[in-house]
Amino acid sequence: MSQADLAMEGHAPGLVTGIPPFSVPAKKMAIWLFIIADAATFAGCLVAYGFLRNGTPHWPTPFHSIVNVAIMTFILLTSSLTMLFGVRAAKAGDKSAAFRWTLITAIGGIIFALLHIREWLGLIGEGMTMFHNPWGTSLFGASFFSITGLHLLHVTGGVIALLAVGIRYMGGRYKADDLEVTGLYWHFVDLVWMFVVPLVYLLNLSH
Amino acid sequence: MTDAPDIHRSEPAARYTESAGRYVVIYVCLLILAALQFVIAYSNVSTFGMFARMLLIAIAEAGLALLFFMHLWAEKRGFLLFVVIFTGFVLLAMQYGWTDSNRMDTGAPYSQPNAGVVSQ
Amino acid sequence: MHDMSAQAHVAHHAPPTSFIRKHIFSIDHKVIGKQYYGLALVAVFVGMVLSWLMRLHLGWTNLAIPGLHWLSSTGAPGNVMTPEYYLQLMTMHGTIMVFFVLTTAPFAAFGNFFLPIQVGAEDMPFPRFNMMSFWVTLVAFLVMISSFFVSDGPTLGGWTQYAPLSAVGSVAGPGQGMGVILWASSIAIFCIGQLLGSLNFITTTLDMRTKGMSLWRLPLSTWGWFITSVMGLTAFAVLMPACILLILDHVAGTSFFVASNLVLNDQLQPHAGGSTLLWQHLFWFFGHPEVYIAIVPGMGIVSHVLTVNMRRPMLSHRVLVYSMGALAVLSYMVYGHHMFVSGMNPISSIVFSFPTLIITIPSTIIVLIWLGSLYGSRLRINSASLFALGMISMFISGGVSGFFLAQPSLDIMLHATYFVVGHFHLVMAVAAIFGIFSGTYFWFPKMFGRMMDERLGKIHFWLTFVGAYCIFMPFHYAGLAGNVRRYQAFVDDYLQPLIPLHRFITVAALATGAAQFIFLYNLIHSRYWGEKAPDNPWQATSLEWATPTTPPPYDNFGGKLPVVYHDPYQYGIEGSTGDYVMQNSPEKIQSVGEEA
Repeated sequence: MSQADLAMEGHAPGLVTGIPPFSVPAKKMAIWLFIIADAATFAGCLVAYGFLRNGTPHWPTPFHSIVNVAIMTFILLTSSLTMLFGVRAAKAGDKSAAFRWTLITAIGGIIFALLHIREWLGLIGEGMTMFHNPWGTSLFGASFFSITGLHLLHVTGGVIALLAVGIRYMGGRYKADDLEVTGLYWHFVDLVWMFVVPLVYLLNLSH
Repeated sequence: MTDAPDIHRSEPAARYTESAGRYVVIYVCLLILAALQFVIAYSNVSTFGMFARMLLIAIAEAGLALLFFMHLWAEKRGFLLFVVIFTGFVLLAMQYGWTDSNRMDTGAPYSQPNAGVVSQ
Repeated sequence: MHDMSAQAHVAHHAPPTSFIRKHIFSIDHKVIGKQYYGLALVAVFVGMVLSWLMRLHLGWTNLAIPGLHWLSSTGAPGNVMTPEYYLQLMTMHGTIMVFFVLTTAPFAAFGNFFLPIQVGAEDMPFPRFNMMSFWVTLVAFLVMISSFFVSDGPTLGGWTQYAPLSAVGSVAGPGQGMGVILWASSIAIFCIGQLLGSLNFITTTLDMRTKGMSLWRLPLSTWGWFITSVMGLTAFAVLMPACILLILDHVAGTSFFVASNLVLNDQLQPHAGGSTLLWQHLFWFFGHPEVYIAIVPGMGIVSHVLTVNMRRPMLSHRVLVYSMGALAVLSYMVYGHHMFVSGMNPISSIVFSFPTLIITIPSTIIVLIWLGSLYGSRLRINSASLFALGMISMFISGGVSGFFLAQPSLDIMLHATYFVVGHFHLVMAVAAIFGIFSGTYFWFPKMFGRMMDERLGKIHFWLTFVGAYCIFMPFHYAGLAGNVRRYQAFVDDYLQPLIPLHRFITVAALATGAAQFIFLYNLIHSRYWGEKAPDNPWQATSLEWATPTTPPPYDNFGGKLPVVYHDPYQYGIEGSTGDYVMQNSPEKIQSVGEEA
């Protein structure tokens, strides 16, 4: 095939002009790629947890109350919604509303983290650590703290990112797109929680 | 003659100003699904049955979040396929090891039944 | 440059002026590429010296190596290596070579330098991430090296760091305490660096291509880096949590990877309930893609170099790309073939064996395309093309033994013998290193603006080529004779007859290693005193040869991005400048090769 011009037979026009094949701008592409990688990271941890749990007889099921985790789930889900409102306002050009919603989202994240830490402290008070717990195999505490700790780390990072991006967005350095990219990360943190809750909490309820 | 591709260009704003009502509907769906997980947690089924149901619900939740909260539905179909197939493939490829998990249960080849009693 | 009027204007940042911004904390992908190359050079030197020490010990077990006690007074009292210290050096050799040479040089070094230029971009989309990627990798390297100097030295667990010995602490041997913690920290840090790099590589390839640069117009080397970065994205993401869990086993008293009732040195270990196989599953889920992360960039580089020197395109550009892609996909499905004798479920062995045999198909297709394209071509013989041929030779020789190892029934006999060592050194390590050499001789003029010495390059090639075969072919023989790997001395009756063979290997390794100083001399001498390089010394077509200056200016194309009109390899045709038409040349092509 001879081609002295830009046209190439059999190619989608987008492929010829150098337009990204997915029409996804670089920052958004990067955050999606990060999300894919991070999904693999979380999956690695969850598979390790499932592998050990499945192979261990008499896995402890010590959780009595679901109230705290239910509230945490509710708060995280709601913060996803407020994030959406924030991005929506930003895209519509309403800067102050976007900033307000972003702040609310960040506050949701902070409350989530505080509730989480309170729960951790409670469990530690009951004698549960990384290497020992009163109910059975030490792997229970190890996997619980590792997985929820990894998630808490993500929430903390997300809160910092939300505040930093929100403030810079308000100052004019960042655009609505940057807020959207941060939002994608925040939704992902929420998405992971939907797997962490059933696998790490709900499967370990005492009946 | 031409401009360099603007990689940081803004996308059409219209794509992300869908009605807030739609977000709320999805949000309520997610809440219901999450609540369903809590209900299942108190149902009287085996651990594996519980795990399977919860996982299915979690996947449904993740799908809703991906498609509508993270706007995959509004992206090009090719991008949706790329993300879902790539991630799905990698996550599936991670599942090879499960049969070795049960081998600990029967004590072969390394571990003994009642693993964990040593520390007590 | 052909027609400057057809170039696009871009707004570009002013180049930095301070020394630190320009050469140390630079956000210029070209500087970062060179930094990675320098890191790989240091790492490969360390790795090579370690292999010398190991080989000397294997050939002459009680040999005193002068000065060795300076490195470790406990590991080499009286300059004679202890068995444990042999294993420590072996572990560090493997780790440094795999992570800091085979991953950084062909992928991070050349990829950083040339991927943005080959797609016609002025930089990567996230230059600061790119800079971080290098510095994080450097920190990882320093952490790894620092383990030589802590209490009882580096870990002795092998680069695979199998549990439970890697997870129980110093009771498992010298270096198994602090050494493993440093090892796992280093690798976890390294994973972060590679993640940042992969993000940049993928977004550059997808989003930064210049006008006219469709995906099918990307050179094969770009495809190699792109496919590698897609693999690296998820492979390193799984290794990182695995390393963190391993660290937790050490510092937080968890026992993810230690089974119950483990007795070491007559002590019942306090750990309980974990799974040793879990570590292997997590590690090899990364580990096998890693093998392809090491070799696929080499494949891309070699294809690129060969095409230029054959003066005609590959038999099928697309099939070559698809085959590299198939390698990437399959690399995630075969990792269990490292675990056939691990005590893994035997059914899994069959499940893993099947895709392992399948993965030979794309590998074979790639080789056949190379050979078929070479057949009848008037190949220009220079250092770069010689090393490209050498890479193919090594890949075939090492690949053939893969057919044996892919079958569980045969692997039971061959596993953990020198047969495996010979296999992966040829197919992955030496082949990738030959790819690095090929890329170095080929791109050095563009990177540094000076030509390398061809005569020295050819001498370097022949010594290395013959040397590598002398080292690694006998490994297969030793393996078939039952020589288990990781033995520090051959005291068993059946191994005694193999000692002369091992001495031969040692001599070959020392000589081949010494030959690398020719390369190092060539590199340094050419860097400062080599002949000035023209813009396009190889009459090549891709965009890295279309930069307005050599080495390329800060923004690669002098403020005007090129516009691409042709497929990457328009050779063997009548162009205005010779038998080729550059990608950014708007001229019409009269007759084209097979590939369109």
